[in-house]
Amino acid sequence: MAWELIEVAGNPTPLPHSTVDVVAAKIESKVANTVIRQLNQVCPLENLRHVKRVRRRIECEKSELSIILCLSTRTESCKNGFPEDVQKVVEAYQLSPFIAKVASYPAMSKEEWEEQCKLWPTSYHPLHDTGGASGFKEEELPSIFDCMRSAIQLSEVGNTAIIVDPSSMQIISKATDQTHQNCGFLKRNSCVDVGADGARYLADTTEDNDGRLLLTSSHVSHRLKLEVSCINSWGWTKQRSSEKTLSSEGGFLWHPLRHAAMVAIENAAERDRKMFHTSNSPRTESNLNGDMENCSDNEPTKRPKIVTKDKEQAEHQDCGSDLSGMNRPYLCTGFDIYLVWEPCTMCAMALVHQRFKRVFYAFPNPITGALGSVYRLHGEKSLNHHYSVFRVKMPEPDLNVSSDYPEKG
Amino acid sequence: MSATAFMELALDQAKFALDNLEVPVGCVIVEDGKVIASGSNRTNATRNATRHAEMEAIDILLQEWQSIGLDQTLVADKFAGCDLYVTCEPCIMCASALSILGIREVYFGCPNDKFGGCGSVMSLHESLSSDDLTGSQDTRSRGFKCTGGIMAEEAVALFRNFYEQGNPNAPKPHRPVRVDQQ
Repeated sequence: MAWELIEVAGNPTPLPHSTVDVVAAKIESKVANTVIRQLNQVCPLENLRHVKRVRRRIECEKSELSIILCLSTRTESCKNGFPEDVQKVVEAYQLSPFIAKVASYPAMSKEEWEEQCKLWPTSYHPLHDTGGASGFKEEELPSIFDCMRSAIQLSEVGNTAIIVDPSSMQIISKATDQTHQNCGFLKRNSCVDVGADGARYLADTTEDNDGRLLLTSSHVSHRLKLEVSCINSWGWTKQRSSEKTLSSEGGFLWHPLRHAAMVAIENAAERDRKMFHTSNSPRTESNLNGDMENCSDNEPTKRPKIVTKDKEQAEHQDCGSDLSGMNRPYLCTGFDIYLVWEPCTMCAMALVHQRFKRVFYAFPNPITGALGSVYRLHGEKSLNHHYSVFRVKMPEPDLNVSSDYPEKG
Repeated sequence: MSATAFMELALDQAKFALDNLEVPVGCVIVEDGKVIASGSNRTNATRNATRHAEMEAIDILLQEWQSIGLDQTLVADKFAGCDLYVTCEPCIMCASALSILGIREVYFGCPNDKFGGCGSVMSLHESLSSDDLTGSQDTRSRGFKCTGGIMAEEAVALFRNFYEQGNPNAPKPHRPVRVDQQ
């Protein structure tokens, strides 16, 4: 059995054929337009945008129109159960309301749509391209699985995050949970990997280990699940008995918010600052200059500040970095992140802020999972950035036998 | 001190952010009627988009309390007696963080329609009542009391200033950004 990659949809998969009751009434075709307009104003069907307001049916060789007045309140009889404004319409046109069923969710397939229309007509918009930039290509699968394997190998206890630039397969940063004193800070050097050469290549990491998938029972057992910061977010208050309280010197001995993803983002930002310390990408400069022109006159204090900053940049530029020609990344735009465990809401939102392109995780987080298990943050329309989410599923034997994992591909 | 007085101090932090070409959000953390930490957004300087004002202030406290030898239990007790005043509704990330830390109360200025975690997009300040896998108290989420709309206009005005001057670190827009001339 091979490893699998499954996209975690941003929208919940609705129960097929789930319906909701509405109050409807037959109307004369000559008043239809007026009634539609009035009802749309006084009682818009906000959560049923996919449902058509009017149904046309041929009955006894006559075309008959019915219109949805409002949602049914279920408990009350048709006559008294709707808003005053709707009641006015009912009275004005002497309508006789009845209860009808409509589909609660937009249809996902043509077949489902045809089924829905038997109840009450709905509109159907085939899903727009889900693949493309945000999806994955078949030939990427081996490297995607490699990255997840590396992440799992790093996570003896708790979660691990690996940030990868998929265009070069470069590891940008790695981190493990650092919420407890004993779980990451002592091994910090092995996690923070922003040395002089900036980044390591994936091949190095996989060679470091002798191909052992070290998850075994630890990822399955209940006790160790609680060591995963994203799963047991509120468990930090319980001090470990093995820990002694020491006073820290300008650092953190433990940190309730340093979940693997948060630390990996911090490491990536640190790498960014080191490698592209001058912030001299053409993009930034042109933006700054452009902004100066846009500076409103009622804020004279802003102007000198921008000028000094520009000067600073110019000086830095003279220092000459080899990377000056390279375009510095904007946060983690275009990057992927691999997590052994599905992130909590804090980490999932951090990944939105840092503008990741794709998120891969191996194990769902049933307690606070924000990308499919409890919430579907990536389907939240109001957010200013959206990544796609994938679950890497591995066959059971891999979870129990530590010594072997499937061949690449 | 009144809520508005603390919010004034949070607004000062937001102005500091604005002067440093950062998204103007600021906050103060208050214990026993005294400001014990303050923070302002530092996402551009750090190139880390998670360095929101709340995170900056929280880190100051964690560092300080650890340096005087407080353990996890004592730190949790401390947070349980702290209130946060922040100029904009905490985002989903920060609201989750505040719940993890078990802060007592949050007062914010303007709502955050795009990614607010205290009512606008998600409501992470309301604790989950359902039992989790373990059923133990430790893993259950904690809620906190949340009050919005304190000096919201002032907070919004700072955002307007910022977007007029432009975010120097934002990616180049596909279309030219239109700046309203007043």
